[in-house]
Amino acid sequence: MNDLPLRATEASESYRVRLEVFEGPLDLLLFLIRKKKIDIHNIPIAVITREYLDYLNREDQINLDREAEFVLMAALLIHIKSQLLLPREEPLTEGEEPRRFLVDQLLEYQKIKAACSILKEREEEQLALWTREALPPLPEPAEPDLAEVSLFDLAETFFILMKRKQAENFRVVRGQTYSLEEKMKDIIAELEKDGILDFLDYFNRQENLEAAIVSFFSLLELIKARLVMAVQERLFQTIKVWLRRESKSRQ
Amino acid sequence: MTMAPELRDIIEALIFISLEPLSLEKIQETLSDYPPSEVEKALNELLQKTASSAGGITIIQSGGGYVFTTRPEFDPWVRRFLKIDRKSKLSSASLETLSIVAYHQPITLSEISALRNVDSSYTIKTLLEKKLVKITGRKKSPGNPLIYRTTERFLAYFGLNSLDELPTEEEIAKILGEDQTVEQAPKP
Repeated sequence: MNDLPLRATEASESYRVRLEVFEGPLDLLLFLIRKKKIDIHNIPIAVITREYLDYLNREDQINLDREAEFVLMAALLIHIKSQLLLPREEPLTEGEEPRRFLVDQLLEYQKIKAACSILKEREEEQLALWTREALPPLPEPAEPDLAEVSLFDLAETFFILMKRKQAENFRVVRGQTYSLEEKMKDIIAELEKDGILDFLDYFNRQENLEAAIVSFFSLLELIKARLVMAVQERLFQTIKVWLRRESKSRQ
Repeated sequence: MTMAPELRDIIEALIFISLEPLSLEKIQETLSDYPPSEVEKALNELLQKTASSAGGITIIQSGGGYVFTTRPEFDPWVRRFLKIDRKSKLSSASLETLSIVAYHQPITLSEISALRNVDSSYTIKTLLEKKLVKITGRKKSPGNPLIYRTTERFLAYFGLNSLDELPTEEEIAKILGEDQTVEQAPKP
């Protein structure tokens, strides 16, 4: 019972596939020749040209990037027809047959298309087979390429962070002062606790602009004192901070 | 009697451990203490054994050697494991261009374009990037155009061992014959 409608949809699906755009003029010509059951060696040029132009006008049927090539083929077809119409004193020899060139091309193209369909099956088969060397390398445990940053980079990042902070547009509470020493201790404490500090995160955690600025100065001080190592993977990204002694054991 | 099965298992181990398709020559070279004909016989036994037995993996001949692969029916699970939704296939333009190069090599770009009646410079570029074709020199003709050939990778991609295994004239003729009978449904 259920079989029938299923098959019907399958058929219409495959039908739709056949309606895919024609890649090139030979593609379309071959299709028309088969559709009209034309003998490829004796193509009625007028019939095929009319059909061909018909398809050209239905623009959804051809690959529009290739329109020029489709039009060129139309011109060739019309040229062949005009050659055939010319009155001649002697009948044409085999070699002079105006359709000859086109027929040769079509025959060759037809062969290529057939070879393609076989290769396509092979491709399909091969894609389902997996060999071990084809396995993508396993993702490395996250260890980014680290580069120590210069003070200029840090300063640059600082201004970016500043801008972000300013953009937050909050009110500065007056009267509170932050000591460099305290912040340095705070950073060290964070580092001792977690081993690593995401400075952008830390910066943003500061309660106000003043605290944020002091935290950055503290970081500079810590770097200067060679207590910490700061690393920025890429410009404008966060700065990661480690304690120096840890950095030695990391090597 | 007892020798042959042993040899078969040795070969299996060698194919398993090899990082690239392992050729018969290489197996024979490794097992130089056995007569080459016996190695070949054992290899064939091994191939028969793996082909006839069930299991997740099998041995195929591809790219000029023997290699372990998963059986095609396990593709969905392998892809799930590797987190690959689907392998990308060649476009019909690429496939067409590639078969032209395969059958007509060495060939130039303008010759390819003439056969397809379509400018193929972009397609050949993608095939070069995919390393399915390569430039092997220049033709001694006006403009000295580049000459293209297919690569080893092309063979492996389609599971071919050499260009001799490309679809033959007979296979192509068969397809063309079938096509003519299939083309019944007229287009609206």
